[in-house]
Amino acid sequence: MSTSSTHLSAEADTALQTILVVEDEVLIRLVIAEYLRECGYRVHEAVNAEEAILILQAPEVSVDIVFSDVEMPGDMDGFGLARWIRANMPETQVILTSGAERSADIAGTLCEAGPLMEKPYHTQDVVDRIKQLKATAKRF
Amino acid sequence: MSAASVTVLPRRTPPTILVAEGDIRIRYRVSDELRAWGFKVLEAGSAPEALTVLDAVPVDLLILALDLPGDGGWDVVRHIRERPAPTKMILTSGETDPPAGLEPFVQKPYQAAEVAGLVARSLNWPPAQA
Repeated sequence: MSTSSTHLSAEADTALQTILVVEDEVLIRLVIAEYLRECGYRVHEAVNAEEAILILQAPEVSVDIVFSDVEMPGDMDGFGLARWIRANMPETQVILTSGAERSADIAGTLCEAGPLMEKPYHTQDVVDRIKQLKATAKRF
Repeated sequence: MSAASVTVLPRRTPPTILVAEGDIRIRYRVSDELRAWGFKVLEAGSAPEALTVLDAVPVDLLILALDLPGDGGWDVVRHIRERPAPTKMILTSGETDPPAGLEPFVQKPYQAAEVAGLVARSLNWPPAQA
């Protein structure tokens, strides 16, 4: 299969899917959410499990995949959120991540264009990635 | 194809909007509406998140809820106004009268399309056809 046909196939696969990214580190959430949008997904963002449940319960929102960090502030962590989803919305898939490196790696597997960033990366790498996105946008 | 036959149309990068709003139900609705209008939209759920994004990413306009937890909204206003080149702001709140200043103010509850229209007029987006 050619590169272009693979790309078209990836776009078709993602066209109707909605992902909810749950992450309390704003720069990580921003980069992953923007990356997934560039890949063709519709993406909602939540800061913690409580916000995630409010989005999942909104009648106008239908989420296919919840992409959630495990460690989050608040009364409910990622495991608790996964249990809530299994009990209340069993048709919704859940991907739990732990740590920025793992999150980036799994986001890369969702988006067939390739990995988000080379591993390992640190906070500065996240900022550099944001600057890259900005520079890329300016070329249009 | 010869170079002479290529016409390059003027294009502008979509403006970047930061939505700083503590109520997730408002935040995702106005963010979705702005994306539908063609803007690039970033989201922050608190004052510290908004300040982190503003320090890391160039933002063309900030939609700021003054009623962020604590005095968070006003902290962000002070931070913006102290900058050499202050970011444009649209202020929103459900609890206060229009604040002193030049920024547009929208009282909650509001329709997402109302705010999106205000953003579009403020940034002249989309650009007029050449």
